[in-house]
Amino acid sequence: MRLAFILSEIGSGLRRNLSMVVSVILVTFVSLTFVGAAGMLQMQINQMKGYWYDKVQVAIFLCSEGSTAAGCAGGPVTAEQQQSLNSLLESPAVAQYINDFQYESKDEAYKHFKDQFSNSPIVDSVTPDQLPASFRINMKDPEKYQIISETFASQPGVETVIDQRQLLERLFSVMNGASLVAVSIAGVMIVCAILLIATTIRLSAFSRRRETGIMRLVGASKTVIQLPFILEGVIAAVIGAALASATLWAVAHFFLGEYMSQQYPDTAFISSGQTLILAPALIILGGSLAGISSLLTLRRYLRV
Amino acid sequence: MIRFENVTKVYDQKARPALDSVNLEIDRGEFAFLVGASGSGKSTFLRLVLKEDRATSGAVYVAGQNVAKISSWRVPRLRRGIGVVFQDFRLLPQKNVFANVAFAMQVIGKSRSVIRDTVPEVLKTVGLEGKEHRMPHELSGGEQQRVAIARAVVNRPGILLADEPTGNLDPTTSMGIMGILDKINQNGTTVVMATHDDDIVNEMRKRVVELKNGVVIRDEAKALYTSMIPVVGQSRRLKDASGRETPDAGQPGEGEGQR
Ligand SMILES: Nc1ncnc2c1ncn2[C@@H]1O[C@H](COP(=O)(O)OP(=O)(O)OP(=O)(O)O)[C@@H](O)[C@H]1O
Ligand SMILES: [Mg+2]
Repeated sequence: MRLAFILSEIGSGLRRNLSMVVSVILVTFVSLTFVGAAGMLQMQINQMKGYWYDKVQVAIFLCSEGSTAAGCAGGPVTAEQQQSLNSLLESPAVAQYINDFQYESKDEAYKHFKDQFSNSPIVDSVTPDQLPASFRINMKDPEKYQIISETFASQPGVETVIDQRQLLERLFSVMNGASLVAVSIAGVMIVCAILLIATTIRLSAFSRRRETGIMRLVGASKTVIQLPFILEGVIAAVIGAALASATLWAVAHFFLGEYMSQQYPDTAFISSGQTLILAPALIILGGSLAGISSLLTLRRYLRV
Repeated sequence: MIRFENVTKVYDQKARPALDSVNLEIDRGEFAFLVGASGSGKSTFLRLVLKEDRATSGAVYVAGQNVAKISSWRVPRLRRGIGVVFQDFRLLPQKNVFANVAFAMQVIGKSRSVIRDTVPEVLKTVGLEGKEHRMPHELSGGEQQRVAIARAVVNRPGILLADEPTGNLDPTTSMGIMGILDKINQNGTTVVMATHDDDIVNEMRKRVVELKNGVVIRDEAKALYTSMIPVVGQSRRLKDASGRETPDAGQPGEGEGQR
């Protein structure tokens, strides 16, 4: 009975200040979308890190058919050249800087490439021949990249030495910056959402002061009096959070999954399924923000 | 049932106390009128019983319990034992008669079937059978007050507080309301009624407690609105102004004009 009563109170409250409720939904929707966007950027960074970051810090690409670099004038790398590079890597002068290294053949490179870009259409247009063989070096200290580069860049059979970490780092710092911007916007929007929820609850409490006054007099408990107001705010915020989650999913699915992966086929984007783990977090965040802000508002504006 | 021990209530440090060292006991099943000029502290008395305000000093006992010692989450239970009726009825305008009375039961979690059985019964007690589905604006003032009384007693409180329940009603309608309050009192409910209505008080011949500037100046059984005993000169003066009090000469500004 009491539950049915509380539910009907919530229903009438939501109907009575519908426009305020809609604005709470929209504000939480926008603010949580920014929070979620920051989360997605971090997931994207981790996605990229996960594959490359710790595996490879420096790559020595070997000459292949059609390499145009100066060091590759003698054509593709020969077995002897590759052997001598291998010995050089094992020599104490170089070995002291590296943890370990691996040789990655053209076929292995192709296999990794396929794993990495499984959801990108570029896979179909690449053949093992197009990918260079390489030595993948795991550095003890990534800062010592210069030494490896100087030692190997001029060796015969080496096309180029790349500090992949540095390339990634640059990209990640851009992405981190973007997620910081998203978080800041989200912060401002969340303040808006909290204030708006507080105002909405206050108006709602004011418009129902007759009812609550009578409830108080006939001895309704604090919970029965306050719960409808609190749930009103929470429900609006949760709807906003659900909309935000749906938006993030749509962005991952349509924008990243279909448009961006066409435009940048050589980048691994997060899948739309991955964004779904953000949904519960956003819903809990939105719900608890609304709950706390309405509770605090009611303490001031609804005598019990 | 209600006991005030040396109760003082100060709202505003600069003004005189609204209640000043009030000692009073109202027994179970009693019917008492609270009379006195505007601003004499009648509503304050009722508010203290309900724990709507806390006494500045002294102790208020309701049903043997010191209300100051009731923790805030238990206040609802105290209020379930007290029905309240006001001058302005305070019905919910968008609910019909039945729903207004049922509301008081819903919010304390009574089951649908209990509500269905009890509400018509109480409406019958206040003489509103057959009007369950009227909206408040379709009722006369007297009928609206009956609904308010029904709502106040539907949970069978031991105490009924009425703050000028007949203040908006004509004499005949008022007597009807008094009949209902008397009936409720006959059933064992303690009734305390604050009023300015001398005709009613004179008609009912119940206990009369008279307040003046927060002090009890008279407490008489089976009494009239104004004292029969001419000892208290002040109440004599009140009689002359019954209904539209003039500010007390000794304390200008303490009367009606302040409210
Ligand atoms: N909430 C309040 N804050 C400050 N002063 C108050 C408050 N309520 C009442 N008072 C003061 O306390 C005094 C007693 O008021 P109270 O309402 O008890 O009088 P009353 O006897 O009920 O008057 P009336 O017959 O007009 O209803 C008055 O001087 C009033 O101004
Ligand atoms: Mg009053």
